Amino acid sequence: MIIGTVVGNLWSTVKDPSLEGLRFLIVRPLDAEGKGCAETVVAADPLGAGVGERVLVAYGRAARHAIGRGHDIGFQSAVVGIVDRCELEGRTLGPHQDNDTVPTGTQATASRSKS
Amino acid sequence: MFIGRVVGQVWATRKMRDLDGKRLLVVQPLDDHDEPGNGKVGPVVCADPLGANQGEAVLVAFGKAARVAMGGDGDFALEAAVVGIVDDLDAPDAPASWRAGTFAGRNAAEVSS
Repeated sequence: MIIGTVVGNLWSTVKDPSLEGLRFLIVRPLDAEGKGCAETVVAADPLGAGVGERVLVAYGRAARHAIGRGHDIGFQSAVVGIVDRCELEGRTLGPHQDNDTVPTGTQATASRSKS
Repeated sequence: MFIGRVVGQVWATRKMRDLDGKRLLVVQPLDDHDEPGNGKVGPVVCADPLGANQGEAVLVAFGKAARVAMGGDGDFALEAAVVGIVDDLDAPDAPASWRAGTFAGRNAAEVSS
């Protein structure tokens, strides 16, 4: 599982029939400093997360189980949780990227909320 | 399976029912930050049945091994779990960053807290 921030929605018309009606999100994984990685992942979302929310993304069999359509579907990543709070190396990340707090004296943050 | 250091914890209310009551840790894989191209592996969120502390080094397993460690079967919405807490390891060529407080050991952590 990884933790990431939802940065967008994705729609596809021509796709594997097993994916009909699924909601897709673009998720930017967090690195150890709580900042976004350069690469994004696409995850199916059975929970209804919105843009800007922090989510947990699982892969493989766990993801197919979360999607709930059996194991013969053409997808391998899914949102399995929407984060309330994450403590990471002394800083607290909120459910939304606008709610983050950092220890006093740390300057690393203004750029993060803009990215 | 990899060795990582516990760097954080995650709480979620809206989640798959399988994850209810599971302690979720953020684990950063140990790697050689001195080598170009390394240090880019992101942290992994994994379930923790053992009660690892912040800063401890842990063994993390993936896939079925992780689900079995959490007492589940195949249909379980997680694929990474802590299966061991590292006391110490002997790797002469490992980077210095591996040792920087990583292998404090259970006893040392209890004394300091």
